[in-house]
Amino acid sequence: MTTWLLDPFQADFMVRAGLGVLLLGVAAPLCGCWVVQRRLVYLSDAMSHAVLAGVAGAALVGASLLVGAFVAAVVMALVVAALVLRAGLAEDAAIGVSGQALFAVGLVGVSFQRNDPRALSHVLFGSPLTTTWADVALQAVLAAVVVVASYVLLPVLVATTFDGVHARTVGIRVGLVDTLLVVGLGLVVVIGLTTVGVLMAVSMLVMPAVAARLMASATTRMLGASVALGTSAGVVGLLLSYHLAIPTGPAVALVAAAQVLLAAAARRTPRALQRTVVADLSAHA
Amino acid sequence: MSDLLEARGLSVDHGRRAALQDVSLTLRSGEAVALVGLNGAGKSTLLRVLAGLQAARGEVVVHRSHCHHQPCSAPIAHVGQRSTARWDLPVTVLEAVLTGRHRFRRRGRRFTAADRSAALACLEQLGIAELADRPVGQLSGGQAQRVLLARALAQEPLVLLLDEPLAGLDAPASAALVQTLLELRATGLAVLCALHELDVARAAFPRTLALAQGRLVGDGPSADVLSPLGLERLVCLAPVGA
Repeated sequence: MTTWLLDPFQADFMVRAGLGVLLLGVAAPLCGCWVVQRRLVYLSDAMSHAVLAGVAGAALVGASLLVGAFVAAVVMALVVAALVLRAGLAEDAAIGVSGQALFAVGLVGVSFQRNDPRALSHVLFGSPLTTTWADVALQAVLAAVVVVASYVLLPVLVATTFDGVHARTVGIRVGLVDTLLVVGLGLVVVIGLTTVGVLMAVSMLVMPAVAARLMASATTRMLGASVALGTSAGVVGLLLSYHLAIPTGPAVALVAAAQVLLAAAARRTPRALQRTVVADLSAHA
Repeated sequence: MSDLLEARGLSVDHGRRAALQDVSLTLRSGEAVALVGLNGAGKSTLLRVLAGLQAARGEVVVHRSHCHHQPCSAPIAHVGQRSTARWDLPVTVLEAVLTGRHRFRRRGRRFTAADRSAALACLEQLGIAELADRPVGQLSGGQAQRVLLARALAQEPLVLLLDEPLAGLDAPASAALVQTLLELRATGLAVLCALHELDVARAAFPRTLALAQGRLVGDGPSADVLSPLGLERLVCLAPVGA
């Protein structure tokens, strides 16, 4: 067992990939818990597609793909905020419009690619082999930003998630908090970009948070449990990917999905409705 | 009693329809006022405008000389309908009430022991201190309404606005909540409460404001505003189908 667990990390690329999934496992659920509680899972899904615009644009001009993805995420956050706050559009409509528009821009950008198309494939589905120490350093900085912001903003995240209307009456800038949360989502997608890919990064946002919600009845416990589940799913998924020679992103996502199923199965559910028996009283009549 | 809140010429348009038309009113310290009207009359809009949640033409003045605490930065507390809150969020009752203390929290800091004491005091004032550690998802309708009320009191307001707080409550829970609202007047709080229960308004609230089609059509002693003649006026001015 120890060999199964530790031997893979004798390779440098696995150490870098391991750090990458650990950082993602910490940062993603901290944002994901609020995404799930606010029923914004669609937003995270749209975001994962929207960053393709930034990635394709960065590839075209020879810039860092991570920076390109982050810029696209911020642009999407600002567009969603503008459509909701200025134009009064419903949140899901604003997310659908901006996400699909940026995804379309990304696809057009991809069609102009003259470089190796595998680079974009790595971005979409992840490739631990290509993760560099510079990537890990950037991931660490972004994860630190997410962790610090989660701690500092905890009271306003609770207030705005519990009752956004009331939060406005006590002076909280709800629109700003919402925008910061969307930027946090963008950071998480960028953190997961090289290791599990932008498409599978969404699974790390949502699944540990869902499993933690099934297990915990207090916010801080939910956040703690989600980080424990996220990091364990990341490391176990990476090891499965190494030993079974399967893509890392889907392996991590499958472990996270298994965690959700186990948490759901372990949860006490209300007993089935008592069966009502209608006695035939005619015999006593 | 002296004027605490003064609203002058409040008007709100929803497209071509006027949701509020030139509404002016005053609330006095220690006063409990019922706000009645049919669906769509503008009750919720008026409360949202007074709370600063919705833009309107006109003016709302809170006489800050009546502030009994410093800083007096949140003189108006608004208790919306229960449906605006996410009761499935894993927070305790105390944490939910603490969200009313945001104006007293230093930026970037957590709530202090003083904030927790103030929130607990509000729960005690409403007789639900024993619920402090209970998850909000496990509350009954009456308990949930009291928690929202405690959260509003935690803001240390001068004016308390309530939007149909009795909706969905059974008779004992409604009676207990109304009694609590009336007791709060002793602290100098002005209470404006939108209601559909006209019998409650008549029996418990000395003064009633009546809205119809966004206009203030009645303001006076509840017995007069809710008299058969007053009610006829309310219904006659109501839009068709309301």
